[in-house]
Amino acid sequence: MDWISLLLVPAIKSLVVVVALLTGFAYLSYVERKLVARFQVRYGPNRAGPFGILQPISDALKMVFKEEIVPLNVDHVVYLLSPALTVMPALVIWAVIPVSGASFTLFGQTITPYVSDVNVGLLYILAIASLATYGIVLAGWSSNNKYSLLGALRTSSQMLSYELPMGITLVSVLLIAGSLSLVDIVQAQRGVWFALLQPIGFIIYFICGLAEAGRSPFDLPETENELVSGFATEYGGIKFALFFMGEYIHMITISALATTFFLGGWYGPFVNQIPVLGLVYFLIKVAFMIFLIVWIRASLPRIRYDKLMHFCWKFLLPLSLLNLVVTAVVLVLVG
Amino acid sequence: MPIDYLPILVFFVIAGLFGIVALVVPAQLGPRRPSSNKLKTYESGKVPYGDARGKIPVHYYKVSMLFILFDLEVVFFYPWAVLFRKLKLFGLIEMGVFIAILLVGYVYVWKKGALEWE
Amino acid sequence: MSDTTFEKLRAQFPDAVLDVSEFRGDTTATITRETFLDVARFLRDEPDLQYDLLVDLTSIDRRDLGIEPRFVTVYELYSIPKNHSARLKVPLPWDNSTEMPQCPSVAAIWPTGNWHEREVYDLMGIGFTGHPWLHRILMPENWVGHPLRKDYPLGGEPVYFSSDRDNPRFAHLGKPIMEGPSYPSKLPDDVDSETHLVINVGPQHPATHGVLRLAVELDGERIVSVNPDIGYLHSGFEKTGENKRYEKFIPYTDRMDYLAAMNNNLAYVLTVEKLLEVEIPPRAQYIRVILAELQRIASHLFWIATHAHDVSGTIHSLLMYALRERERILDIFEMFCGARLTTSGMSVGGLRQDIPGAFPDAVRSFVSEFWKRLQDYEAMLTRNPIWLSRLKGVGILRAEDAVALGVTGPMLRAGGVPFDLRKAQPYSSYDHFDFDIPTATEADSYARYQVRMREMEQSLRIVEQAVNRLPEGPFCTDDRKVAPPPRSEIDLSMESLIHHFKLYTEGYKPPVGEVYGMAENPKGILGFFLVSDGTAIPYRLHVRGPSFVNLQATDLMARGHLLSDLITIIGTIDVVLGDVDR
Repeated sequence: MDWISLLLVPAIKSLVVVVALLTGFAYLSYVERKLVARFQVRYGPNRAGPFGILQPISDALKMVFKEEIVPLNVDHVVYLLSPALTVMPALVIWAVIPVSGASFTLFGQTITPYVSDVNVGLLYILAIASLATYGIVLAGWSSNNKYSLLGALRTSSQMLSYELPMGITLVSVLLIAGSLSLVDIVQAQRGVWFALLQPIGFIIYFICGLAEAGRSPFDLPETENELVSGFATEYGGIKFALFFMGEYIHMITISALATTFFLGGWYGPFVNQIPVLGLVYFLIKVAFMIFLIVWIRASLPRIRYDKLMHFCWKFLLPLSLLNLVVTAVVLVLVG
Repeated sequence: MPIDYLPILVFFVIAGLFGIVALVVPAQLGPRRPSSNKLKTYESGKVPYGDARGKIPVHYYKVSMLFILFDLEVVFFYPWAVLFRKLKLFGLIEMGVFIAILLVGYVYVWKKGALEWE
Repeated sequence: MSDTTFEKLRAQFPDAVLDVSEFRGDTTATITRETFLDVARFLRDEPDLQYDLLVDLTSIDRRDLGIEPRFVTVYELYSIPKNHSARLKVPLPWDNSTEMPQCPSVAAIWPTGNWHEREVYDLMGIGFTGHPWLHRILMPENWVGHPLRKDYPLGGEPVYFSSDRDNPRFAHLGKPIMEGPSYPSKLPDDVDSETHLVINVGPQHPATHGVLRLAVELDGERIVSVNPDIGYLHSGFEKTGENKRYEKFIPYTDRMDYLAAMNNNLAYVLTVEKLLEVEIPPRAQYIRVILAELQRIASHLFWIATHAHDVSGTIHSLLMYALRERERILDIFEMFCGARLTTSGMSVGGLRQDIPGAFPDAVRSFVSEFWKRLQDYEAMLTRNPIWLSRLKGVGILRAEDAVALGVTGPMLRAGGVPFDLRKAQPYSSYDHFDFDIPTATEADSYARYQVRMREMEQSLRIVEQAVNRLPEGPFCTDDRKVAPPPRSEIDLSMESLIHHFKLYTEGYKPPVGEVYGMAENPKGILGFFLVSDGTAIPYRLHVRGPSFVNLQATDLMARGHLLSDLITIIGTIDVVLGDVDR
């Protein structure tokens, strides 16, 4: 192993992933605005460039050149660091997600379609996903604002709570796949998608995913009608954009993980003959999940906070445990 | 293999660099015209009553305690699940006992009213 | 009706009643200050009278009328079970040795009096003994003087124009001029800001529908008390009205409940017409009904749009759907009078102009399409489990509390009281139409949602009937002292020319007297109190805004609920701050 394959290749791959995610984020915000607008008989952004496709760029430029405002009563270091702390975990989760099945060779280097395939991939994902909570709690606390504090507390409790059923549901997936590596999990779905073997698991995962990403109807983190903008109330400019980015990348990640765990990852017709189709299938499935999430946002009211917690602790948690037990029993019976 | 984690470390560094660049560079690019009104704590345009870092509702603490308890136990599922195909019936019974104990705790917590949002 | 009231009153309290007078069907009794509270309690509790609703409480400064004592408080009472009303006046002797005259507070008898008395205290400078928390309500806490007193000067603000740029006063043009004056806002004494979190919701907040401020006392996320702070939008409409001719106040009524301009116009012109005693031709009455009911639908549409938006977090699709339908109503208004929001669509004596030829068809096409749209909205919300869980059991306002707090309109009907002025005291030929009063029994936010949805259906029925049976005839009265003659007549008749000239130079001069006019607005009873001194300008003009009174119920409805429910509750009150602050 030389330094090229050890450092340079991962570094370039990481950069590609980061750039892809940022572009994805930017255009996801555009697509969402367009979609929601069409759901609501509006046009959505249509001024910047043809069909408004330059809107994300103009938004990004605006955010970059905004005035830096740091309110007087905040805890400076924590206040400034927490946006970065939110966006970083959202990015590094992608280190273990395989976007395609086929490796290819470039300049004598074998390039794998993931940054790293560690044998505890799933645990890594759960661990990193929990880190995002820190950014939010610290942002809420350091802002010294009541809306921020309440918003941060709500968000963190919500994210923590929904991690439980999500984690238990993923154990059911593990039972069938028998490996923590994401590549292995996808390969275990060569024949049949786990969404068909684990329909309840898939639904629980999707609900928890919505809650984890703070998407409607679980968009309590923003709660703009009660808590103005929740934990991000005192943030503006690029710092706000980082939180926003964290949320949207989280949404992409949730969709990508749903694809990986339940929708057969890169698998699809003719993927063995034409390997590049793997990436296409992966992206289509992710896009489908994102569309679902946006559709839900345009249609449903928001759940009240106490109901949201009850739903998680009193319904989803037992249900996911039951799902796990049933899966295990069936596996033993089938052999 | 530990060497598998090196790319992840590289990714961490790059993501961290991105975060820092995104915070530092725009701060230099934008204008700075602070005024005392602009830097006030926002509370719907009024002077806030008291400090925000006061007492917070205890439910949030309760939720995080419960989360830690349950999450630790859920972690035990993972190695079991990976080896489940080898453990077969023995694994099922073993985990059945574990889940039963977990459920006892869960029912206790529920009956105690810790899951009520009050 | 009221005659028996005052006979009973005289029998019970021989010394209390100083005088009983009648004008335009309104009976007024003058009561001595000492016996007033006993009289008030008697009127509320006597089984034959049951004046359970204190519609309005206001005051008159009679300095320029030359009547002693100078200040008098006025109470407009209504009995929902008996459907009769009465007015009490309590003269307040004042020898200038104290800061202000004193009047006993009725807040313990009719809790709705609380805010009304604060308003009177604030604007007229009358103290109320026994009031729970007598502070200014519309004006800032540090305001000097009481604007509605007749000796309070008008205006006084110099207006600077762009040619004054060299004026040193504008040295700061484009820069922050000064620190925003931030007065320490007073909280009622029972608010515990030490152990509880007191949080400001509003005035600059996404959920408060305008510049409403609620100081919310929270124990965790539970609401201990809500203290509405209003007046940010106060623009002294009453003082303005007392310095304008009757007709000139109509555009101001547009700007009170700006989502129901037509209904405001209607209530005001009805009051002035009551004062003038003019007959309105049936065609004008029918067109008024069509316009008012369309406006009611538009107002309810705006309510459902913002309510759905509030309850859901992100922009709910229903917001856009409902506003799309509202646009069509505004298009119809534009067709009729050229304006969409602030219509000033009606004039004293009838209408300003007849409807254009395409109007009935436009209304019919809207009605037939809206029936279907309403089904769509119901499909989106009525049985949506999240919607149900956010609204059911939230913000309960029982009928007896609602009546005591003076709450009217859909909020009262959702508690099971079928009280609607359009049925109880039909005006503008509402009795010609067949419609129901939707009620509910649960008295929660969901009941209010249901009532308002049903009301839209009933309004559609009224509009349908009115537009199909629209009579032919003149669109305004032929009383030339009130309504201008048609243009064609002016060229031919000297008399018409004189009428026209007199009307536009002097206005009409109603007889001396006072009337109270009410109409059922989308949000509740809108009342106008007019005192005429025989000139073309009202001596006293008072407005009872339904939102102002209904907002008072926020605290009662929100106590014990979660912070999230507060947003539902504000939405369900359907408050328009222009109507609250006036």
